[in-house]
Amino acid sequence: MDLINFWLENLPTMIDGLIVSLQVTGAALVVGIPLGLLLALGVQAKTKAVRFSSMAFVEIGRGAPALIMLQFAYFGLPQAGISLSSFAAAAVALAWTTSAYTSEIIRAGLEAVPHGQQEAAVAVGFTRIDALRFIIVPQGLRVAAPALLGFSILMLQATSLCFAIALPELLSQAYMIGTNTFQYLPILLFAGLLYASICVPATIAVSLLERSLSKHSA
Amino acid sequence: MDQLQHQNRVTFPGLDSDQGSVRGQVERKSSMANQTVKPKIVERDEIVRVSNLGKSFGTHKVLEGINLTVRSGEVLAIIGPSGSGKSTLLRCLNQLEPQTEGIITLAGITLDAAKPASKKQLNDLRRAAGMVFQSFNLFPHLTVLQNVSLPQQRVLGRTKADADTRSRALLERVGLANKADHYPVRCSGGQQQRIAIARALALDPKIMLFDEPTSALDPELGLEVLAVMKELAEAGMTMIVVTHEMHFAETVSNRVMIMADGRVLEEGPSASVMRDPQTERAKRFLQAVRNR
Repeated sequence: MDLINFWLENLPTMIDGLIVSLQVTGAALVVGIPLGLLLALGVQAKTKAVRFSSMAFVEIGRGAPALIMLQFAYFGLPQAGISLSSFAAAAVALAWTTSAYTSEIIRAGLEAVPHGQQEAAVAVGFTRIDALRFIIVPQGLRVAAPALLGFSILMLQATSLCFAIALPELLSQAYMIGTNTFQYLPILLFAGLLYASICVPATIAVSLLERSLSKHSA
Repeated sequence: MDQLQHQNRVTFPGLDSDQGSVRGQVERKSSMANQTVKPKIVERDEIVRVSNLGKSFGTHKVLEGINLTVRSGEVLAIIGPSGSGKSTLLRCLNQLEPQTEGIITLAGITLDAAKPASKKQLNDLRRAAGMVFQSFNLFPHLTVLQNVSLPQQRVLGRTKADADTRSRALLERVGLANKADHYPVRCSGGQQQRIAIARALALDPKIMLFDEPTSALDPELGLEVLAVMKELAEAGMTMIVVTHEMHFAETVSNRVMIMADGRVLEEGPSASVMRDPQTERAKRFLQAVRNR
């Protein structure tokens, strides 16, 4: 009973933290996934400059740990004259990571679209852009959707790294409560449960989505 | 025939069906007379001319020295053993595969292997040539109606309402009006291929290219596709059909071309080529497919 009371007592602070976590995740995904689509197209571009700069962007994003990206954005950039709030720094760093990883997921999705689709699009006279926009990308994203959502769940969990740049997200809040009350175990358990309360239903939703998508495809 | 003509006039509203049927009749008469008597109509326009076409993939030669002329309203069947280059030839015609040698002129657009085609040329070419694939290649994420309508909107700039009206009329003509709002995956192979034909026709092509349109279908479903193609031919559409359907080659097409090993073995009026092939290789091929 004590445990429940302790949790309820700290619920508002924890919910505030969860909301920040969700906001950072949202910002990272809203910027990162469209950027990932552009990068997926960019790494296949015919123009060398586009192809190589896309590849560099992707390799840095995938090669560097998210924690380094966060610290770079928050502690590193001010030295270059760019000061970001912890929220903005978190959003920028995680959006970069997201775009790099999702570009690979989306590229695999685009490549899974049968070659005959591209040929049919060409044969009916679509321009390259129209073929991508109406035929290839919609089908490729459909293939990539479950993996993208899976990655989004991972990103929510990765926001706990923002603890390192003083962003008041869920883990930071839990840690702060822990330092004040010395009740580390119960509050960290609570934080874990709150993460799970989002991630478990989301995981179930992904598998449902996967099933309904496979019903629809050829 | 009168009744047929009448049917045709309603069947494919986009087509000049009157002229087409006359053309068809004259063609058949002239081919019977061994083409010594010139038909009494105006010389039909040449739609396709291929001169000395060659195609290589690396060092592997797939086509060599192909010459070909197709006139408006003609139906040319290309037959031959697998790997003879039939499909590659067809794919060269709309530049899904650019040729490595020779010149193709299609609907007034000239493509020379020696110089790369411009974007405009390719666009015009694909607008003039409708393509039907062996594996249908419908867009699975779009409804049947959208499959037929979207290209009209994007390529010809028709409004959605206009495109949808035309699409429904075409779907009706291929007997699939009731499938308009379904997704292709819910249609049989024969239905999918008829939708693919409607999709190509919706762009008012000057010529239709068919790449083994019935090869992926069981014989019964193949028949419904062949019936649509026959109507189309009778309505005067110019068609090049790569096929293994000997009956179609013999009865629907005006001319037949037999290919083997990347070359043309024989080419001429369907009746004479099918019944009386001149080369040994063509004889063997026809014998083999007939004895099946």
